[in-house]
Amino acid sequence: MTFLQALFMGLLQGASELFPVSSLGHAVLVPSLLRWSFKQSDPSFVPFLVLLHLGTATALLVLYRDQWVVIIRGFFTAAFAGQIRTDPERLAMLLLVGTIPAAILGVFLESRIKSLFASPYEAAAFLIVNGVLMLGFEVIRRRRERRAKADAAADTGAEREEGFASAERISFPAAAVVGACQALAFLPGISRSGVTIGGGLLAGLRHEEAARFSFLLATPTILGAGLLEVPQLFSGGVPVGEYIVSAVLAGLAAYASARFLLRYFRSGRLDPYGWYCIAAGVASLALLALNL
Amino acid sequence: MKSNPVAYGLLVIGLLCVVAAVLYALGVLQFLASTSGVHYKHAILFAVLAVACFIGFNFTRVRTV
Repeated sequence: MTFLQALFMGLLQGASELFPVSSLGHAVLVPSLLRWSFKQSDPSFVPFLVLLHLGTATALLVLYRDQWVVIIRGFFTAAFAGQIRTDPERLAMLLLVGTIPAAILGVFLESRIKSLFASPYEAAAFLIVNGVLMLGFEVIRRRRERRAKADAAADTGAEREEGFASAERISFPAAAVVGACQALAFLPGISRSGVTIGGGLLAGLRHEEAARFSFLLATPTILGAGLLEVPQLFSGGVPVGEYIVSAVLAGLAAYASARFLLRYFRSGRLDPYGWYCIAAGVASLALLALNL
Repeated sequence: MKSNPVAYGLLVIGLLCVVAAVLYALGVLQFLASTSGVHYKHAILFAVLAVACFIGFNFTRVRTV
């Protein structure tokens, strides 16, 4: 992989990690469509991915630095007291409950699933599935809005969201299910943020709050996965300097995309990303099949 | 939900997780591991699960005072 390719991959991973469009799917598809010779499944690629993930996790930590201070304090207070008294304490325990299923599935299944579905054809097919999922989440959400509208008429995006809850109010079983859904993102083409935002919507959260919960939930998952692979960085022949520059680029792109998405989801929906995934998946399948 | 049977169940599971973490860290346990050797990822996972179980124990036990 050349330095320019590494920079491009850093930008692509950082930008697409938090958008509900599957960073892994794009990372498998784009090099294949551009006929770049390196492969994601190559063991030498792991240190590169480790640093990109650490860059993204750092961006999320910086974005939510004030909230993380309160959440970590709330975690220890609730853990030692054995009871939840405040919203940050509840959110800390929700994030713990949501992270555990993803951690179990990640440790035991991630490498097996990724090696089974690493081809660009499968990534393109799963990208279409991801698009259909995003549209499906919104169809279910619109039904609930119509039901809620019987009680309170709401026309604008902000008003429409008023009847739904903040991240701290999600139930513990729902947090566990949303957390477990992160494991679907081991399939290249299925978006971690997409399924967790969608899960949050089904659990009754506002769009912006579902995105916030998704990003908070992603932070320990991405950071943990990255830190566990850090020893790989010290294997021989890894151009750490070039990879670090790419990771910084990934972090900057992730920070900008998170800021954009949080503003977008104040009144926006998942539909555009669903349609994009379907179009990108179909176009990629066509390009791959025609060998263009 | 306060219940001593649930609490002590979580305590036992937590202790088992500690044992599993130690065995994975020593390379003795190979269950569900793709290669042989020391599995530090599995060890860390079971250590985290143990902590989560102990937190669950603290939440669910019935306090006498």
